[in-house]
Amino acid sequence: MSANNLFLKSAFVRAPLKNGVGRYVCQLQRIVFKFCKSNGASRGMRDFIEQDLVDFSKDNPGVVVYLKPRRHRGPVIVGEYLNGDRLWMSVHNKTHEEIVKWVELFRTQQGNNWNSRLRKYQYTNHPSVQGPWTPFTFKDPELNTAELPDVRFGSNNRLPATATEQLRLMFEKQKLDELKTAE
Amino acid sequence: MSAAKRVQQWATFARSWHIFDCKWQDPYESAHVIKKYLMGMHKPIYHPMNDCGDVVVCINSREIALRGDEWRKRAYFHHTGYPGGASWTLAWELHNKDPTMIIKKAVYRAMTGNLQRRHTMQRLFIYPGENVPEDVLQNVTNQIRQIRYVPKRLDHIPEEEVKNYPKVMEYPEDFVVK
Repeated sequence: MSANNLFLKSAFVRAPLKNGVGRYVCQLQRIVFKFCKSNGASRGMRDFIEQDLVDFSKDNPGVVVYLKPRRHRGPVIVGEYLNGDRLWMSVHNKTHEEIVKWVELFRTQQGNNWNSRLRKYQYTNHPSVQGPWTPFTFKDPELNTAELPDVRFGSNNRLPATATEQLRLMFEKQKLDELKTAE
Repeated sequence: MSAAKRVQQWATFARSWHIFDCKWQDPYESAHVIKKYLMGMHKPIYHPMNDCGDVVVCINSREIALRGDEWRKRAYFHHTGYPGGASWTLAWELHNKDPTMIIKKAVYRAMTGNLQRRHTMQRLFIYPGENVPEDVLQNVTNQIRQIRYVPKRLDHIPEEEVKNYPKVMEYPEDFVVK
């Protein structure tokens, strides 16, 4: 099974040209607010324009702000990005606070990434410092020269000592003790 | 992909060959160990959808050890498909006919039942004795540790060792075993 024919493509977190490392370039180039001067659905948008729009464009001198009043049409935000993406969003009946949050999202994201699902919320170019695993990682180097099959590598070395083996060891120890006392 | 990364990929996904000595081992116990190596479950990169299974060479399958009286009690079922085609073969009979069959069936049963296990079984080589073809043996880089302790027969221990082994008492010269 592959993910190629799924509706939502998967993607990784990425920043264009290491954006934000050292310097930050706002990726949003132009934002267009389309609204109606009389329709109730544009109420929040009109509030935003009256209260926050001047501050927004002062804070972001790199973003071109267009206002497009049009009679009896729904309110819309369109963002255009440095990589050529164009992001269209209807803000029909959205309140002032909601529009503030959506404009903040438009300003901070780096393009239209709404048609992809993030596989993970973090990404690195160097996933492993010590190098990826291979079949020979953590292997006993003695195996390199061993003639397999070999009982040394094949027998279970985690079993407790057999009674015979324990007796033999006791006998060896007894012999050593006798040698010591003789000296 | 750069040349170095390509080589890294080959190294990580290289198929390695393992050897397993079945002497005195319970086939149904060791099947669960062999299965892990065959499917690649012993690797940190394991995922059911990536092809990371290894090759396992089993030797001495003639000398497996079954528990209790399983040689006489365990039956292997086969049906030809025709009416009256059912047959039950006892473990000892099957082992006499083909000494590799019991371990093969045990490993096949130990794997979860999907069709992939037929392909995974192709990577299992079983030999009844010590003799392994040279072209198979030269690939082996690792040995799987056995589960059971392998007892030694008295007549296989060198005479020197037997003589020097500590004894509590000696039998008299004229002792006759009844």
